[in-house]
Amino acid sequence: MDFVYVVFHALLGAGPIVLLPIIITIIGLLFRVRLLKAFRAGLTIAIGFAGIKLVINLLSGNLGPAAKAMVENFGIHLDILDVGWGAIAAVTWSSPIIPLLIFGILLTNIVLLVFKLTDTLDVDIWNYHHMAIVGIMAYFVTDNVLLGLGASVMMAVISFKLADWTAPYVEKYFGIPGVSLPTMSSLSSVVIAAPLNRLIDRIPGVNGIDFSVKDTQKYLGFFGEPLFMGLILGCGIGVLAEYPVTKIFELGVNMAAVMILIPKMTALFMEGLMPISEAAKKLTKEKFKGRKFLIGLDAAVVVGNSTVITTALLVIPLTIFMAAVLPGNRVLPFADLAVVPFRVAMVVALCRGNLFRSLLISLICMAAILLAGTATSPVLTQLAMTTGIDLSASGGISSFAATSLTVSYLVYIAFTSNPFVCVPILLVVLIGVWAYMDRRAKRAGQASGTEESGRAE
Amino acid sequence: MKKVLVACGNGIATSTVVASKIREACEEAGIDVSVSQCKLLEVKSKAADYDLLVTSGMFTGGEANIPVIGAISLLTGVGEEETIEEILMHLKSNGCRPAK
Repeated sequence: MDFVYVVFHALLGAGPIVLLPIIITIIGLLFRVRLLKAFRAGLTIAIGFAGIKLVINLLSGNLGPAAKAMVENFGIHLDILDVGWGAIAAVTWSSPIIPLLIFGILLTNIVLLVFKLTDTLDVDIWNYHHMAIVGIMAYFVTDNVLLGLGASVMMAVISFKLADWTAPYVEKYFGIPGVSLPTMSSLSSVVIAAPLNRLIDRIPGVNGIDFSVKDTQKYLGFFGEPLFMGLILGCGIGVLAEYPVTKIFELGVNMAAVMILIPKMTALFMEGLMPISEAAKKLTKEKFKGRKFLIGLDAAVVVGNSTVITTALLVIPLTIFMAAVLPGNRVLPFADLAVVPFRVAMVVALCRGNLFRSLLISLICMAAILLAGTATSPVLTQLAMTTGIDLSASGGISSFAATSLTVSYLVYIAFTSNPFVCVPILLVVLIGVWAYMDRRAKRAGQASGTEESGRAE
Repeated sequence: MKKVLVACGNGIATSTVVASKIREACEEAGIDVSVSQCKLLEVKSKAADYDLLVTSGMFTGGEANIPVIGAISLLTGVGEEETIEEILMHLKSNGCRPAK
């Protein structure tokens, strides 16, 4: 026993570069991927981690001091760096409890499917990181594996149910049938957008407002191109840091490099996980043969919608401005400005493409992300430092993912602040919404049923 | 050599799946191909340098002057062969660019 303990601790101490190939190989073998293929996947992911570490060092080492200087010079208190969801996903996948969480989430999906409590089959293992990170952070704070697992399972249930409930919008608004999107990065906005959209429906005068903006892609298109985004933001912060001209451009080009390099490194993670995802897909499809379900996909499949693009291109600059003036916010938006389309996609669908509402509600969602990101930054920063990422030059890290997302934040708080009181409250709210949605679906079903029979007559 | 651009929401997740499936299929069919990935928002500025645009989801956000194929089937697995067939047809067909 002692020997196992010593080996285990030596591995934990070795850090993610050593741990990742081992963890991923084990996960792969459990999904019946061949040993060599599984090991190659693990090694690819470890390489991705090494790459992300380099890029985050480049980001933190350059932008960190500049952000601090900006705080001193102008009192614009934005010292928490948005390092982007890719870096957070890297931290997530390198946690020693990740195999437990992955199988916990997968099992949750299978159990819900068996008891017909969900229609979503989600074997997109890659996107499990949104659910897993909440458990990892809860485990990091409480040192209790069960609370960690519980938080991830809770995230999973909420993700699958929100995916079920939004599937009609994916079919009707985006025109993709048979699919649901259990990606929390876009689903989280729904809990803010759905009630707000209802509210606006009831305010006379406001409920009729809509407008359209022409040529956003022509004039604001560069906000969608990460390399220009990085250059402009880097130079802008360099100016506010009162750097000399050459250093301003140095910061700009370095930040453009970060914007381009982070996704390239993250793609290695995706590449490594693909064989495992495919194996999981095969295994579960055999198990549920003949059953009709919604295939869970990455929300990436809907962000190509033109209203989503327009809304995102308008929300990106407004979010940067909002970050500076929003009381209590310390997050400096950066790497995750590239994934704003995900945060607004479901909002646009719920508002049925009404640009006024989409814009207003998206900005409120982004404000919530910034504030939750500020609140949970200390824990996330400590967690990232334990994986060997050097963040000493910055005032902390955050992103538009992980516990910055409204739903993830609520689950995290419930499981870490006072689980015996908060978790039951969260459950009651979930069950209440569930019952309401079921009743609504039934009524809608009856209404369309009578409509059809009426037409038949 | 034909150049294919695969675009998705963030140029990372679903485009990696689609890109590697296209690479695999082309290798089997003996087609020499170079596959690149990008974000949907970058399509406008990048598409002109490619022979074919494949998107992982629906794409109504802009116009590209090259053939576009939607490849959501490569993610869901429903109708996967047909889409691969369509992609291969585009890459085999005459639309060859003069060698530079």
